Amino acid sequence: MTAELRETTIPSDKDYVLLAIETSCDETSVAVVRNGREVLSNVISSQIETHKKFGGVVPEIASRKHVETMTIIIEEAVREAGVNLAEVDAIAVTQGPGLIGALLVGVVAAKSLAMALDVPLIGTHHIAGHIYANHLIGDIVYPAIALVVSGGHTEIVLLEAEGKFRIIGRTRDDAVGEAYDKVARALKFPYPGGPHVDKLAQEATEEVVLPRSWLEPDSYDFSFSGLKSAVLAEINRSRMKGETPDFSALARGFQQSVIDVVTGKAIRAAKEFGARQMLLCGGVAANRGLRERLSSLCEEAGVPLLIPPNKLCTDNAAMIAAAADLKWRRGQFSSLDMKAEAIMSLEEWSV
Amino acid sequence: MRIDEELIDDSGTVTVLAFDTSTAAFSAAIVRNGERVDSVVSFAERNHSARIISEIKELIERNGLQAQDLDAIAVGQGPGSYTGVRIAVTAAKTLAWAWNKPLIGVSSLEALALGAWHELRPENEDLADDLDVWIIPVMDARRGQVYTSRHAANHSGGWRTVDGDGIRLIADWAARIEDEGTQESQVAAIWFVGDIELHCAAIEQAEQSGTRLRTYACNLNAGAIGLLAELRFRQGEKDDVHSFVPNYTQLAEAEAKLLAASRGE
Ligand SMILES: [Zn+2]
Repeated sequence: MTAELRETTIPSDKDYVLLAIETSCDETSVAVVRNGREVLSNVISSQIETHKKFGGVVPEIASRKHVETMTIIIEEAVREAGVNLAEVDAIAVTQGPGLIGALLVGVVAAKSLAMALDVPLIGTHHIAGHIYANHLIGDIVYPAIALVVSGGHTEIVLLEAEGKFRIIGRTRDDAVGEAYDKVARALKFPYPGGPHVDKLAQEATEEVVLPRSWLEPDSYDFSFSGLKSAVLAEINRSRMKGETPDFSALARGFQQSVIDVVTGKAIRAAKEFGARQMLLCGGVAANRGLRERLSSLCEEAGVPLLIPPNKLCTDNAAMIAAAADLKWRRGQFSSLDMKAEAIMSLEEWSV
Repeated sequence: MRIDEELIDDSGTVTVLAFDTSTAAFSAAIVRNGERVDSVVSFAERNHSARIISEIKELIERNGLQAQDLDAIAVGQGPGSYTGVRIAVTAAKTLAWAWNKPLIGVSSLEALALGAWHELRPENEDLADDLDVWIIPVMDARRGQVYTSRHAANHSGGWRTVDGDGIRLIADWAARIEDEGTQESQVAAIWFVGDIELHCAAIEQAEQSGTRLRTYACNLNAGAIGLLAELRFRQGEKDDVHSFVPNYTQLAEAEAKLLAASRGE
């Protein structure tokens, strides 16, 4: 077991079962997926109540919680799926990117299972998971553009073919979800505040128009730190004048700016690369404003759009199985010496 | 508790897979009937998570064993490096669950102490049977602190824990051990063992009355984890796989701060 990569041929006409583990941040999740697409179980244990007290995710506590729940969640997922452990054909796990101490727990549990059951291990990229969550709900047509928006990531990914990832745009500072949480804090919402901002923006009747950060004309990159500062400056300006800042108008202004830029760039990428499909994914895909705008832009451009349901957008293990399936079908397995990676290249993870 | 061969021979063959990652060493062992059959200690990887499962697999295979030959999975529960302890504990929980084997956690400190005693015992052979030797395991916990405990051993196989696992200031702890050791006449020798290099000066400083405090640098060997676990196993004890967690001996920093804030400190 010294080779970095073992390649074997897997018969494709037989049913197979992947058990996947995801512990990259504050969710402990285990899923059992048949034939890469049929979700038999997808158990998610969120630590959000624990981290709320601290106003954000505390890495050391996240790791401790993963250890506490790991085998419980594995057992629940297996039981709910109604499979025998002996029927599991491979173990998939989020290898990175993420919080290193959190990833380690999942990686060690996955390796232990792979050894105990004597089945292959598939180290999986978290973002590939978010993207391939779409494969659990529909057929992906290539080339496709994936817009990945989450607490830790904001990326536009081009998939020229199945399992071939090319990042064409990424955030230069905060991720969208991060910007939402920071603005939420300024608007006095408790952690995690993203959904509150979305709701407030939806209900707003006024809008404080805020700048759009388009960067260089040909760039697909993002920057949200200036926008966040603009929100804070606006709050200060009102207070200096002895006025009460209009939080809902600000939430709307912030949300409109984010949506304009994010969807605008995604659509431009779809046109430039001749995408036959748009994939929206990541935790922020739950944002109603974003879903609605992207839907109408895609319709206008004639590009079909896939958006997984919320449970498959936020961190979950079924999406990890869906991405690991790319490697399973090609017999590309990881060694038992695989390491968790806090930073990990999506492009290099391509099949 | 007595660590004697007789107790071990009484109730049939027991084979334990034991491992620990609470310190800079990764250690795994197969223990059968109180004997270390085979073991591995490695410092090669700073990151124990990389090699742990391959090493365990290799150890099991080169001894011609299969899962069905193992009676229990034993693991060092800490204290020690937070990340380190989590690695072995996660592996032990998952293996015990997947193989449906009893899980037995033992104190990594006690194992460090017992392993040291086994090495020191021949040198202390001239001690009378009714005299105690105190074994004080230490693992560095930064800022002058150590993870430590106190165990009393004797030549008739006696082994008991005097003070349980905790995080303590080495200067205060060594002074207290010195003081109490001076007062108790049946204590023949006191050994600070383990990660002592950083703490030698503090231990020497505590020395008031002569040469009673001695030091012995050594690493944790999973053989001692296996032995302690085998004894628990033979007494019918085991841990609950799902609720088993590392013994960190202290709150995470963020929790400690929150607690202090809630008390208005
Ligand atoms: Zn994610």
